[in-house]
Amino acid sequence: MSDANKNVILKVDDVSMRFRMANDRVTSIKEMATLLLRNKVEFKEFWALKNVSFDVKKGEVVGIIGRNGAGKSTTLKIISGILKPTTGSVYRGGRIVPMLELGSGFDHDLTGHENIFLNGAVLGYPKEYLKAKYDEILAFSELGDFINIPIRNYSSGMLMRLAFSIATVVNPEILIVDEILSVGDENFQRKSYARMMELMHGGTTVLFVSHDLNQIRNMCNRVVWLEDHTVKMIGDVKEVCDAYKL
Amino acid sequence: MDVKKYNLKKVSTYLIAGVLVCGVIINLIAWPQICACQIGSTAFVILELILFAALCVYCMRMISRDRRGEGTLLGNAIQTIARYEFLIEQLVSRDFKIKYKRSVLGVFWSFLNPLLMMSIQYVVFSNLLDVRGGNVPHYAIYLLCGIVMFNGFTDCCNQSMRAIIGNASLITKVYVPKMIYPVTKVLSASINIVLSMLPLLLVTFIYGLFNGLYLNWSILLIPLALVLLIMFAVGMGLLLSSLMVFFHDVEFLWGVLSTAWMYATPIIYSLELLKGKADWLVTLMQFNPMYHYVTFMRTIIINGCSPAISEYAICLLFSVGMLLIGGYVFHKTEDKFVLYI
Repeated sequence: MSDANKNVILKVDDVSMRFRMANDRVTSIKEMATLLLRNKVEFKEFWALKNVSFDVKKGEVVGIIGRNGAGKSTTLKIISGILKPTTGSVYRGGRIVPMLELGSGFDHDLTGHENIFLNGAVLGYPKEYLKAKYDEILAFSELGDFINIPIRNYSSGMLMRLAFSIATVVNPEILIVDEILSVGDENFQRKSYARMMELMHGGTTVLFVSHDLNQIRNMCNRVVWLEDHTVKMIGDVKEVCDAYKL
Repeated sequence: MDVKKYNLKKVSTYLIAGVLVCGVIINLIAWPQICACQIGSTAFVILELILFAALCVYCMRMISRDRRGEGTLLGNAIQTIARYEFLIEQLVSRDFKIKYKRSVLGVFWSFLNPLLMMSIQYVVFSNLLDVRGGNVPHYAIYLLCGIVMFNGFTDCCNQSMRAIIGNASLITKVYVPKMIYPVTKVLSASINIVLSMLPLLLVTFIYGLFNGLYLNWSILLIPLALVLLIMFAVGMGLLLSSLMVFFHDVEFLWGVLSTAWMYATPIIYSLELLKGKADWLVTLMQFNPMYHYVTFMRTIIINGCSPAISEYAICLLFSVGMLLIGGYVFHKTEDKFVLYI
């Protein structure tokens, strides 16, 4: 790798994604068989992304903006490896941690304590690391003794606090945030916002999708603007945001 | 935070040592069967030594390739396990904890369940409807072996079938090798199979005191029988869970199929019953994997000796075959899961 590329932690290289949509989603063998027999399985092709390329340097906070359906979420999914791009490739230089939609990795019969380890394991953290960070997570979530009861008894605010604490107290190398979470009461919201800012300024590489241009202006170093499934503009925050607004 | 890795040299040493110990135990227990097999004992031992040497060579190749930074199939598999070891441990323990979380007797059900099932079926099939046919000796134990093995297998399949669609919320958000989900489901279900060996042995022991059935050194082969069954279940689980993503019909189809499979396997009846009446069924039975696993277990426990050498080969063939089929289908379809769940 050349010298200029040394700091690149994430490289999206000419990625295109094609979805094939059957007329209806076929979920039964009978349907599939009748459709096949009548030769009616038609696929509509749909390019969700076309030739998207950009790279992210270590420690950068990159915002992704664009209108609904421009391909923001698909881009994030390809970057985190959930979707395989039809063409093109993604280079990842570190562990990618998505900020999970609240509680999607939780099991409601387990206690908060057990869920911290389960969720941490899903996000790819080793055991020793989670053990070391456990007290910090607990303190941040302000759950106290409730940590030892099954989370099905939690209020929604408690669940969100737990989820947010797990996602951010541990230090991910690349954090993917799909819309910033505003969770809990006012006090916790302030705390979580401060934590996000701390993460973003503290060397973590962040990919950040938002519709809130003020947040983007406040937090990001660079912005990628997606429109019509392809990159319309990449560059300085002010420049791109101003152009986007018009 | 580095990605966790195992030292391949150490793993290989353990692997080779483990295979060696197992090989020696099997050879000691199954010596009469080895002598009785078609190719003769000398040829058999030579064959074993060749296979063992092949394993050693492969391990050496794996280590040397690893040093050069190249991967091998087994090496990559080992490193994947190392990397996701903690996740696997968490998922298995979650499934196991949740299973009995809200019950009073908890894990005790793993012991109690097969016992109760056996009692019911014993009463029904030995007193009400006598289907024993060929007058199976030690029918209670015969029945219990069959129930434990078959219920264990269907339990694994039922658990793993929903592994992918049940974890949809995770699969669409975090990248984890998807194979981990069905495999951990099978592993957590197979803890139950292992636990249910305890009542099986206990009942056999107590029953044996009164009926002259004594446990023998052959019970050392039980782990082997379980490993073979679990391998088969993993293959089946991979196949079912991937099909399930595309066709939800699989769930209902499997419900019927597993019941049919249970009756197609001599669990409550014996193969003797079919002989003379339906000989084609007896021939067909050779292609029923579950028949072989169940018989394997019964030979170990009731006959107190090792199964014939050909049985080892057949069981291994079914296990590896199913694992390959399941793994292949899963691998071919896993990239499309996200689009369908």
